[in-house]
Amino acid sequence: MIGLLVRKQWMDIFKNFHYNPKTNKARSKAGVIGYYIFYLFLMVGVIGGIFSMMAVEICDPLSAAGMGWLYFTIFGLMSVLLGAFGSVFTTFAGLYLAKDNDLLFSLPIPLSAIMISRLLIVYLMGLLYSAAIILPAVIIYWVKVSAAPLVILGGIILILVISFIVMILSCLLGYVVARISLKLKNKGVLTALAAVIFIVVYYVVYFHFGQMIGSLVDDAGTIGANIKESFYALYMFGRIGEGDPLAMLLYTVGTGALFALTWFILHRSFLKISTSTGVVSKAVYKEKTTHQNSVSRALLIRELRRFTSSANYMLNCGFGILMLVLAGGAILWKGEDVFYVIGMVFGPELTLLILAAILGMIAGTIYPVTAAVSLEGKNIWIAKSSPVSSWQVLQAKLRMQLLLAGVPLCFAVLCSVIAVIRFVPADPLMIVLFVLLTLLYVLFTSLWDMIWGVRGANLNWSNEIYVYKQGMPVMASLFGSWIFLIVIGGLYFLLTKYISATVFCLIITVLLAAASFIEYSWIKTKGAEHFENL
Amino acid sequence: MLRIEHLTKTFGDKKAVDDLSLHIAPGEIYGFIGHNGAGKTTTLRSAVGIQRFDSGEIYINGSSIKQDPLACKRQMAYIPDNPDLYEFMTGIQYLNFIADIFGVSAEDRQARIREYADRFSLTADLAQPVAAYSHGMKQKLAIISAWIHAPKLIMMDEPFVGLDPSAAFLLKEMMRELCDQGGAIFFSTHVLEVAEKLCDKIAIIKEGRLIRSGTMDEVKGDESLESVFLELEAEK
Repeated sequence: MIGLLVRKQWMDIFKNFHYNPKTNKARSKAGVIGYYIFYLFLMVGVIGGIFSMMAVEICDPLSAAGMGWLYFTIFGLMSVLLGAFGSVFTTFAGLYLAKDNDLLFSLPIPLSAIMISRLLIVYLMGLLYSAAIILPAVIIYWVKVSAAPLVILGGIILILVISFIVMILSCLLGYVVARISLKLKNKGVLTALAAVIFIVVYYVVYFHFGQMIGSLVDDAGTIGANIKESFYALYMFGRIGEGDPLAMLLYTVGTGALFALTWFILHRSFLKISTSTGVVSKAVYKEKTTHQNSVSRALLIRELRRFTSSANYMLNCGFGILMLVLAGGAILWKGEDVFYVIGMVFGPELTLLILAAILGMIAGTIYPVTAAVSLEGKNIWIAKSSPVSSWQVLQAKLRMQLLLAGVPLCFAVLCSVIAVIRFVPADPLMIVLFVLLTLLYVLFTSLWDMIWGVRGANLNWSNEIYVYKQGMPVMASLFGSWIFLIVIGGLYFLLTKYISATVFCLIITVLLAAASFIEYSWIKTKGAEHFENL
Repeated sequence: MLRIEHLTKTFGDKKAVDDLSLHIAPGEIYGFIGHNGAGKTTTLRSAVGIQRFDSGEIYINGSSIKQDPLACKRQMAYIPDNPDLYEFMTGIQYLNFIADIFGVSAEDRQARIREYADRFSLTADLAQPVAAYSHGMKQKLAIISAWIHAPKLIMMDEPFVGLDPSAAFLLKEMMRELCDQGGAIFFSTHVLEVAEKLCDKIAIIKEGRLIRSGTMDEVKGDESLESVFLELEAEK
């Protein structure tokens, strides 16, 4: 029974490996194996590879300084972090808010069997993530420092202890996430914000990691002594890997006790937690004075509401909004350095052209309009039975795109102009052309995205995430805008012998304006007709 | 109010609607019955302008849905068989959106929302996202949004599905009120008892063709609508 339940849950987590989400058809055996191999490659090859390199770097100096325990503490903690955060959403969706809870509870299956199967999946997922870090670290220690029987036993116990700690933490965090998700109001915006913060923190840590490790190795004695004095439990945690029998015993017993407590609490409250829908403070409607919006404004508000309601939509199609704001701030703050680097690499006369290309490239990652038509999905009857023309519907989508890409772009362009005036002796005509070129390029790519959104519209999706993550329109939007930049760059290097940068910018500006006009005309006529036939 | 003339629509090789003609006058509740896949939804979707058709014409108050779709849509409302509404909006946001699209003034919409939401006991839930609504609540919201711009013609596909008895009763009352004020209703249903009690006229469609239509007496005579329908269905 438990095996059957575990298999069912495994299939649920990895269903996209077994079934094509677009067609809902089963993949071939080779396809399924291919997906698992690719996943293993990512986990073992990429994540495991990165951490193996780090382990190789610090294993020798730390163990030579008698700080082998610090080595295991560092990798052990990172492993716990990745394991707990990596599997927390599996726990959240698989343990507490599983879609089939009601179904399983109504069947003659013992509650403990359901719980064991769910916990087993949480354990396996945690083990998968945590082992990607701790396993290479342990093996590298065995190879480089010692492979004495006690050290080998310590390594194995450390891996097991970590996997259980990860499971306990996942249960706790999963419960918190489940409770919060039931109470959150602006879930989409907050999730997007949390994801952005996570990505920023990740990159800050990633870029400073080498430096952090360097200082750690240099100052290992002091840091180690401080940890040992203030956080003795962490010292003992690291000692497991070195094969300290007392540390092994303490952590095995401690983790076992914690697991028993978790099991006891879960067993007592599992049914209640799993079937509770959460006491959501229900917003009660209070009549307020409303005002009438014009049709075009109402349609635009509808598009913006759709965009801000989904964290996935915002992150996949609007990440560049934040990047543009950050780029603008960075240019304003560190403009002199930025222009110096550009000048060094490409030559000072190309500074503005390269700046325009950078901003255009970032703006190319903003493409909500590509998915906007497909996202009408089953709701398309509302637009089609309303007294609005297809062009009005498309126009609102285009306005949303221009608003979301245009406002941060204008900010970045303004910051660039201020920085250019401050730091670079630029020709005023060239500055005007830089502004025009950047704005026109983003107009051109926005219209390009819209064309693909209309032509490649797919209203029959099972999960909206496939609309803005996969398919030809998304590829064409994302890479199309970059390819155009490469083409423009190539043209410049071809024509550079014959015309100046200013004349080149003038020609491209005119070409972009003409191309945008053609695109706009197509959307207004053929695009609207295409929408009508959907 | 609604004139359908020789409507034909094919999907691939299959004729979903075949040379169908109907005329619905102001003040009439017109029921549309037929088995699953008979062509009811295709007819309704064509009449609303959601779906293009191969031949024939459809007029709303004299305006052609082909030639002047916006003028037609301004005068009518549609409720589909499944109330797929914008789940990213709250109930009140959805109603205001529809009111904006149909150009309903702030005062009128407020009065209508107050009236209809109270009648359907939906007022307290209007601040909730549509995603949190049950099927019945979505259906009620779809009904309120259809009535919010005081249309002259309302077309509905299986409007009673998912409604509780009191909401179903209320809907029937609202349908009658609209027709008493000179409006018209064209709706499909599988509940023959409802059609028999509620409709002024009825049309029976089979395999895309209209097989009988007229006033209730003309269609069923002394028999029940159910027996007439089953007899017609049995005929080859």
